[in-house]
Order: sequence, then C-alpha cells, then structure tokens
Amino acid sequence: MTTDSRRLQIRRLNRLRLAGFFLILLFWLASVLIVENLLISTLIAFVISYLLSPVVNRLERQGFDRLWSTLWTFTVVGVLIGVTGFLIFPKLATALVALQKEAPTYITGFSRLIEDIESHLRAIFGPLFSFDLRELAESSLTQGSEAFFNEIPRFVKQTLTVMILAPFLAFFMVKDGRSITRKAFNLIPNHIFETTLSLQHQINHQIGHFVRARLLEALIVGLVTWFGLVLISFPFSLLLGIFAAVTNLIPYIGPLIGMIPAIGIALVNGSSNFDLLLVFTVYAVAQIIDGGLLIPFFVARLVNLHPVTVILVIIAGAQFMGVLGMIISIPVASTLKVTLETIYRHLTESRI
Amino acid sequence: MTTFAWKNLFRKDSKEKSVLETLKNTHIFGSLNKRELRLVMQTIHVRGYTPGETIFVQGELGIGMYIILHGRVDVLARTQSDSDESQVVTQLFEGDFFGELSLVENQGRRTATAIAATETSLIGFFKPDLMEILERQPQTGSKIMLRLAEVLGRRLKETSVRLTELKQETSKAPGRSSL
Repeated sequence: MTTDSRRLQIRRLNRLRLAGFFLILLFWLASVLIVENLLISTLIAFVISYLLSPVVNRLERQGFDRLWSTLWTFTVVGVLIGVTGFLIFPKLATALVALQKEAPTYITGFSRLIEDIESHLRAIFGPLFSFDLRELAESSLTQGSEAFFNEIPRFVKQTLTVMILAPFLAFFMVKDGRSITRKAFNLIPNHIFETTLSLQHQINHQIGHFVRARLLEALIVGLVTWFGLVLISFPFSLLLGIFAAVTNLIPYIGPLIGMIPAIGIALVNGSSNFDLLLVFTVYAVAQIIDGGLLIPFFVARLVNLHPVTVILVIIAGAQFMGVLGMIISIPVASTLKVTLETIYRHLTESRI
Repeated sequence: MTTFAWKNLFRKDSKEKSVLETLKNTHIFGSLNKRELRLVMQTIHVRGYTPGETIFVQGELGIGMYIILHGRVDVLARTQSDSDESQVVTQLFEGDFFGELSLVENQGRRTATAIAATETSLIGFFKPDLMEILERQPQTGSKIMLRLAEVLGRRLKETSVRLTELKQETSKAPGRSSL
C-alpha cells in the first residue's frame, strides 16, 4: 500500500470516528432539549455533581469504593437537605402567603410612590413630560404579581420533577461520569486525542471550581442578608435572603437587583431614613463580605473575563434564556474562553 | 482497515487481560497491587493505530505517555532543528513505553515524532489520568510518581553518560581544543 493511500485511509477513519462522536453528542443534546424538564434537570445535575464530587473523592481516598462513597454522600446530603427543607419550607410558605395577601397594599403604596416621582418630574419638565407612569407601573405590577402567584403551582410541579430527576442524574454522573466520558473519547480521532483530553480536563476543572465558588458565595450572601434583615426586624427576611442569594449569581448587576425589593418594601412602608439606611447597610455588609473576602479568594482567579465581556455576555444570556441565561452565561463564556484558548495554543504553538 | 476500526471501537473486555498484563510488566506500574492496577485500568485509554499513522509530532504539546500493547512504533527525530527531514532513531516493540516526560512537564513538547510502523495498539496514560489517580488514591499515585521519577532519573543518567562520551570523542578529534 502506498503512503498516499494509507494517509487517505487514516483520514477517512478519523472522519468516521469524529462523525460518530458528534452524532452521539447531537443525540444527547437533542434529547436534553426535547424531553420536558430534562435541560434544567441536567444543568442542576451537573451543579450537584460538581459540588459532591470532591466529597466522594475524599471518601474514596479513605478506602471506600466509588459506589459506596457516592451512595453515602448522596444519602447524607439528601437527609441534610430534607431536614433543612422541613424546617424552612413552612416558614417560606407562610412568608409567601403573607406576601400574596399584602401584595395589593404594596402595589398601591408603590403606585403612590411613583405618583410622587411623577409630580416632581412634571414640576421640572412641565408639558414635556406626558407619560402616565403611575398607571403603567400599577398595571404592570398587578399583572406581574398575578402571573407570579399563578405560576407558583406549575413551578412547584416542575420543581418536584426536577427534584427527583436531577439527583438521580447527578448520582450517575458522579459514579460513572468518568467512564462514560472515557467511552465517548474512544471515538475521538488519534491526531486530536491529546488536545481534546487536555481541553476536557481544563474545562471540567474550571467549571467545577467556578460552580463551587459561586454557590458558596451565593449561600454566604443569602445567609448574611437573611440574618441582617432578621436583626433589624425587616419583613419577609427569609424571602429577601433567598432572592439576594439567587440574584448574587448574576455578576455585577445581580447584587443591585437583589436589593431592589427590600428598598421598595421600605419605601412603600414609609420607613424612616434611618430604617432605609439600616436596610442598605445589611446589603452593603453582605456585598463587602462578598467583594472583599469571597471574590478575591474564591472567584476572581478562576474566571479572568474582562468586565465588559461579562456585561455583554450577561445581556446575551438574558436575551436567550432570561434569568437562568444571566446566571449560566458566565460559566458558558468561561468554557468558551478556555476552549478557544486551548485550540489557539494548539494551532499556533504546536511546533517549536 | 474498517474492520480494524470497528473492532477497536467496540471491542469490550477481550483485551482487558493483556492490558493488565502489559501494565503489570511496565516499570512505572510495576509496584502496584491488583486493586491499584484496577484503578489504573479505569483511567487509561487504549488506542488503535494503522500502519503509518502518526502518534505525535516533534515539537507538539504532549500530555502523557504511551505503552505498546502490540505492534511496532518508529521514533523519528529531525536531522537538524530547522529541517523538515526526519530519520528513524529507534524502534519500539511490545511492552516498551515512550513520552513519559510529558507526564511531569508543564507545557512540555515532544522531543521526537512517533509513528505506528504496523497495526498497533497503545495504552495511553495522560496527565489528567495521573491527576485523577492522585486525587482518588494518593498512595497509588505516589507509587506511580516514584517509579516515574526512577525512569526519568535513569534517562537523565543515560543522557549524561552519552554527553560525556560525546565530549570525550570531540576532545580526541584532531585540531580541537580540550576545552
């Protein structure tokens, strides 16, 4: 066989392998997108597996095998979450019911606030200011709150499905993830095998650290906000703490969004300037702890994205997938960055 | 060739025994017990190569080593650093291993080109695999690292001896200074 025909055969074989690999990837992507709740369950499963893998590895280091280490970790964490949920859910439900009852009061109060702002603006701009801000705000708030409370039953149903499916998927990701990846890697052509393996390792490492750091950050910010609001006897402290934790996952603008409801509630309730200052202090302390301690030590060194890139990526994420898109846009962008950097390095520095 | 590819892609445990045997006989994994070898088996990659297929190219970034399960590998090096011409410097056979320096080097580059001379099966063991072992079973990882250090030390010693010989040969050559 001549060298040329050999090369041709090798190339054909590589294409075949690559096609097989992409077919499997495509099939997986299609099933995740088509089957209801599978996308969100898979994303949460990834997060759970990134969180629990280090614990499973630690147990494995003590001499337990992978299956038992995974089983123990999932059982203990499941029980802990169950107990926490048992303690927190009744409080959360009470807070939600109270919020639903008081929603009209807050909407009216908020409209009054808007009316004041509107009259100030009219005094400044005169006939130039022709918007009816009050009506606009009142109607959108009423519609929004109605939609929110109407969505709760559907959300709970979806949450229940995800709560069963996500840990189930995560269990197998932790237990068998590496062997499944290895099997899929059998289809990678030889000439790009090392690069792909290195890429996969770097991405995995980066996302793992990122997920763990961001969730720890959100948890601490949520807890500090909750405790702070309880200390100043502010209403809906638990709900506001959870909201602050979730919005804190959105870089830069998340903490500001997280503060809005509390400031809104304080303004509507006609709180004194001192009370407003207290609320602001609680959120500021949470952000100082986050920005001064948590980000420098856990987050900043992991994803070196330029702030402008971060903002653009968040806007793009919000346009595609709303709040979820804002939260997952940064890990996605950092994954792309690592991928492109590695490919670029491979292409430009592969030879001396 | 297609048959070879399919066999290589979907052959399951038939090769397991020979892989285990080859690993046991490879110096780097020689000190591991059965349980530890089983962990290594879970991390390695068995790759199939057709005759003439390149395993890696001189100057490329490398992330690990290969052990020859069966077949033959030609190792080539460029005749001059800026030249595209290469010549075979050595041939490796079943049980031989190569590329181990990349396991410990940061951004290490391949110092030679490796090409499959016949239909060849290789066991690939890469840096992420070593990291996984160190993370999951540090004791096993330490044993591998110790043996790896031994191999690298031996290679260094061989290179030093060769360098001394070359220096001696150069100094003996007529018209050359002994410095």
